[in-house]
Amino acid sequence: MATIELEKLVKRYGKVEAVKGIDLSIADGEFVVFVGPSGCGKSTTLRMIAGLEEISAGTLKIGPDVVNERDPKQRNIAMVFQNYAIYPHMTVRQNIGFGLYTSKLSKQEKDKRIEEAGKILGLDDFLDRRPAALSGGQRQRVAIGRAMVRDPSAFLFDEPLSNLDAQLRAQMRIEIKRLHQRLKTTTVYVTHDQVEAMTMADRIVVMKDGHILQVGTPSELYESPVDVFTARFIGSPSMNLIGGKRSNTGVEAASGGDILIGIRPHDLAANPPAQGDGIRLTGTVTAVEPLGPETLVHLDVDGTPVIATARDKSVPAVGSQLTCSAPSGSLYLFDARTEAFLGRS
Amino acid sequence: MAAIEEQGAAMGRPNGSPSGGPTGGISSRLSMQTRRLLWVWGFLALPILFYTVIRFYPTLQAFYLSFTNWDLLRPAKLVGFANYIKLFKDPQFWKVFKNTFTYLIVGTPISLVLAFAIAYFLDRVRFMHNFIRALYFLPFLTTAAAMAWVWRWFYQPPPIGIINDVLGMAGIPQQPFIRSPDQALFSVMVTAIWAGLGFQIIIFMAGLRAIPSTFYEAARIDGLGEWAILRKITLPLLKPTTVFLVVFSSIGFLRIFDQVYNMTTNDPGGPLGSTKPLVLMIYQTAFNSYAMGYAAAQTVVLFVILMIVSLLQLFILREKK
Repeated sequence: MATIELEKLVKRYGKVEAVKGIDLSIADGEFVVFVGPSGCGKSTTLRMIAGLEEISAGTLKIGPDVVNERDPKQRNIAMVFQNYAIYPHMTVRQNIGFGLYTSKLSKQEKDKRIEEAGKILGLDDFLDRRPAALSGGQRQRVAIGRAMVRDPSAFLFDEPLSNLDAQLRAQMRIEIKRLHQRLKTTTVYVTHDQVEAMTMADRIVVMKDGHILQVGTPSELYESPVDVFTARFIGSPSMNLIGGKRSNTGVEAASGGDILIGIRPHDLAANPPAQGDGIRLTGTVTAVEPLGPETLVHLDVDGTPVIATARDKSVPAVGSQLTCSAPSGSLYLFDARTEAFLGRS
Repeated sequence: MAAIEEQGAAMGRPNGSPSGGPTGGISSRLSMQTRRLLWVWGFLALPILFYTVIRFYPTLQAFYLSFTNWDLLRPAKLVGFANYIKLFKDPQFWKVFKNTFTYLIVGTPISLVLAFAIAYFLDRVRFMHNFIRALYFLPFLTTAAAMAWVWRWFYQPPPIGIINDVLGMAGIPQQPFIRSPDQALFSVMVTAIWAGLGFQIIIFMAGLRAIPSTFYEAARIDGLGEWAILRKITLPLLKPTTVFLVVFSSIGFLRIFDQVYNMTTNDPGGPLGSTKPLVLMIYQTAFNSYAMGYAAAQTVVLFVILMIVSLLQLFILREKK
């Protein structure tokens, strides 16, 4: 258990700065998710925390100590990798026990911990199998088990679910979250999947180009993103953006205006009642995606692609004209030039 | 019939013949199954023919000859096990047998340990990596004859022999090397090891590169030192590579010939037969004494040794389930 403090952390590869001086403090027991597109520096940051990459500048504290110059093993952290990094020539038991390789516990104590971790992760029946005989999800659990037995001061996850199929990913998400609630160990989790970030995190750190754009709880990020990038990154499908300008009644769509209006597809209802405040858009239907309870309707509104949601069972025909509307209060306004968040409307 | 034949084939191979389709002619009268078999066997026929004529026939012929007294001039006459009895009673054979196994038992481990050590460290060197690797590989590309002659020079007494020059500078008395019955075999072995090193390094490096780097990172986080990582992760994961090289290198040492022959041309296998391996004995029996039957018996013995050693190694180093 420990806090983690990043102060002006920088990573340079030659002349390229991959991480450009980030500040962050992670509380004891917190589950923090780093999210961002590929190459944003999130994995590099994690690897610096782990001690796998040297820190070019700035300080890193785990607990009260500055650990910049410490080897990974002296930092007492455990890490789970995307490709699991479990050893094919060892059984599950040996793999999990490998986390205790340097520990001074007695043989019985070690065995007890391995059994315990196996039980928590539902691997009891597989302890004497080789990884080759396990499914992807089970392999990832072995990797988590190896991290668990160490009783580390922090868990680091580097895109641990990226190699799993969608269903398994959803299941493992919940399992990792439960595990965190049970162990209450400080956790840093890197992913490029905003769904993982939203569902698992106590706090999300959005990164882009080596900078932190925003730090906040999932709902903070969803409700008041700092800029267009974060707004479009968080939430699925991505937020619609159309040019607009302020009017007497609020805002209205207009090309070449000084603001951008952001509307979540979820809030943009197809076939609205004839009257109502908020914003109305009309466009040509280019594609429909029926999801069961609702249908996503892709529209072309004056050359801008927009996604709306149809909640009634009628699926609009492709090529037809459709009007949709979003109520006031659901709109996000951004400065058209700086793309910074201006407020809700 | 066809179903049985399919069992050995890899799954998911395209199984239609390019000549398939209802185009008329012979192909349309045959079933798809038959056409496929014709196509497959058409391709297989060439190597099968080649191996039968070039490999299997001479091999079987050698087995047959080993029971005859053929000497190139008179027609071969069956003599039963006479050649084998003569061979096992021949003190020279046992000497050669011992030499061959000395090459094998001393040469293989030394060359593999050396190759692994070089590959292990070269793998971490970024500076002029390719150049250094090429330097190690160069001997493998060189003709054994040329290489053996250069090494003969190295082993000469001073001032010609560079090794003795260096020893002299260090104040160590000069050594006879290939002129001494005690040192000659090991002097030849050094050349043979050096010649094969490049190949083994390349294979070891390929094996090392194939181990994902996250395995090492995970181990570092778990707190393992360099030595523990080597022992617990690198070596076990490198096992398939090692098995291949052990077998490959063993066969190489059991069949050693060209280095010995070229380094001891005045008295091949000398001095006093101290460097002579089995293959050189076979060569001399066949092409100096023209005792073809006797030489054939020796090749059969070599064949059996090679087979036993290879199978034994594969068995010892097999993947334990």
